[in-house]
Amino acid sequence: MTSSPGGIGARTLRLLRHPVLRRLAQAFFVAFLLMVFAFLLIRLIPGDPAMILLGDEATEEDVIAYRKLLGIDGSIPSQFGRYVANLVRGDFGVSIRSREPVLSIVGKRLPVSLWLTVTTIVMTIGLALPLGVAAALYRRTWFGHAFQIGASVMVATPVFFSGLLLILLFAVQVNLAPIAGYHAGFPANLYYLWLPALTINFVLVPVLSRILQSSIVETSSEEFVEAAIIRGTQGWRFYWRYLLRPSLAPTIAALGYFAATVVSYAVIIEIIFNLPGLGMTLVDAVRNRDYPLVQGIVFLSGLLVVGLTFMADLVNGWLDPRAKIR
Amino acid sequence: MIDAANLSLDRRQAVGIVGESGSGKTMLCRALIGTLPRHGAKIVSGTVRFDGQDLAGAPERVWRGIRGREIGYIPQSSLAGLNPVLTVETQLVESIAAVGSMSRQQAREEAVALIERVQIPRAEQVLKARSHELSGGMRQRVMIAAAIAQGPKLLIADEPTTALDVTIQREILNLITQLRQELNMALILVSHDLAVIEEVCDEVMVMYAGASVEAGPVAALSKAPRHPYTRALRVSRVDRAAPGRDLEAIPGDAASVGSWPAGCRFWPRCGLADEACRRDSQPALMPAGEQLSACIHAERMAEMEQ
Repeated sequence: MTSSPGGIGARTLRLLRHPVLRRLAQAFFVAFLLMVFAFLLIRLIPGDPAMILLGDEATEEDVIAYRKLLGIDGSIPSQFGRYVANLVRGDFGVSIRSREPVLSIVGKRLPVSLWLTVTTIVMTIGLALPLGVAAALYRRTWFGHAFQIGASVMVATPVFFSGLLLILLFAVQVNLAPIAGYHAGFPANLYYLWLPALTINFVLVPVLSRILQSSIVETSSEEFVEAAIIRGTQGWRFYWRYLLRPSLAPTIAALGYFAATVVSYAVIIEIIFNLPGLGMTLVDAVRNRDYPLVQGIVFLSGLLVVGLTFMADLVNGWLDPRAKIR
Repeated sequence: MIDAANLSLDRRQAVGIVGESGSGKTMLCRALIGTLPRHGAKIVSGTVRFDGQDLAGAPERVWRGIRGREIGYIPQSSLAGLNPVLTVETQLVESIAAVGSMSRQQAREEAVALIERVQIPRAEQVLKARSHELSGGMRQRVMIAAAIAQGPKLLIADEPTTALDVTIQREILNLITQLRQELNMALILVSHDLAVIEEVCDEVMVMYAGASVEAGPVAALSKAPRHPYTRALRVSRVDRAAPGRDLEAIPGDAASVGSWPAGCRFWPRCGLADEACRRDSQPALMPAGEQLSACIHAERMAEMEQ
């Protein structure tokens, strides 16, 4: 017998070596590191959840007893061991403050953040793509110069400032959006989300459209572009196949990365716009030293980030064989 | 910059343009295909006539009907001439489909025929490949296929063999010659190698520093050059070198735009140069023997050879 029954066959082995699977394994490794960091970092912050909860008058014995109750007694390695063991079983623990399971809190808050992320990214693509292309094609005209200046100003404006300006303009002056708040359910939630998304895009769109602009400019000096003109290629075919598509890779990679940063922008944005998403929950959890909740949110939103970058890589490999995962 | 070049050819004729790097060969070809503006240049004076139509300064719309359809072009660095993100098929089919209403299936079959026509084996496989999966010779063949896809009347090949190794060079030259006969195309072949042009062309134009310095039948120029630069090009050819002796090089560097000398632009590198060469401006082409020469000492060259 050459291969043991029930063992890993040659085909399975080949499948396991598939580049996409390897990349996926990398993603899982990153997720694991993320979990470790989330666990350690929150414990580096001074302050003890038991002492915070019990207040100033608690005795030493009370604090020790309460720590045991919360499951944060013992050495750091033993706590970590317990944490990982629970995590493997899908148990993210219970919030120290509200005694509610972490998963159920995240389950309630995550959709808001996800919706914010999706709305933002759709808006980013819708704005950055035409802007980047136009900025590349008309870079020597007044539009190109205006774009450069405008982009610099927008990138340099902090989101809490541009957010307030946008609220003042669209919510107070023109009344096209609520000042703050949220109601679940698509498509009604878009009414609450478009302004926060626009605020984040004040930073994302200028950066991404400039990345796109410079790669299109770079592509346009490639030999194959002139070769296509000389062959008589024209119209949308020329623009899409010879200018845009070969230029997309850096932009999509950056988009994957920025989609991830939306999660952290969301912290500020959710406070400004009073959106009940993960960001606000996270800030509260850190303030209360709610270890399980912080760990859960950082780990799960980290997974989201890892997933988004992985997706960006896949899309890139499909659009541009040079960027294919190997 | 080119300020004195005259090139004309009949249907089915093959004309060569030869000269060192920077002599204006590629610029001249770009003018013939109307893509000078991309290089920040334009035609200030002169005409580009094709089939009786004057194309110099013609609007982009007119050029679009010419490029690919009437004039096929194999660009100089055509190893980078294929879009890396598209398959060969996509690029060929798009050239073919530009001709007229043709179904996808028809265009595909046509693409297979084109690939076979440029003598690439396993056409189906090559069609599915992208640029980086092909060898230099194959890429060049694909570029040729794309250039002839719409059945042009004129094929311009700008140094089609420069980036290739010697054995492939021969194959590509043979292929171009063969296609030219099969498809009844006129040919403009650009090269810095006189030997290549002698092999393929009937007529030749020698360019130096933006001006044509000698033009005429290939046989005449190679037998009895009437311009010192043409002679120097011949003498510096590797295949004519005497064994055991150093290769003869043309002294000095090619004059580049902005540093053209006063007088005849070749005089600093010329053995025949005298006071008149340094003083008078770049001479125009004048009949000399069977060809035209832009050298005031053309007669003296003829005497010297006897």
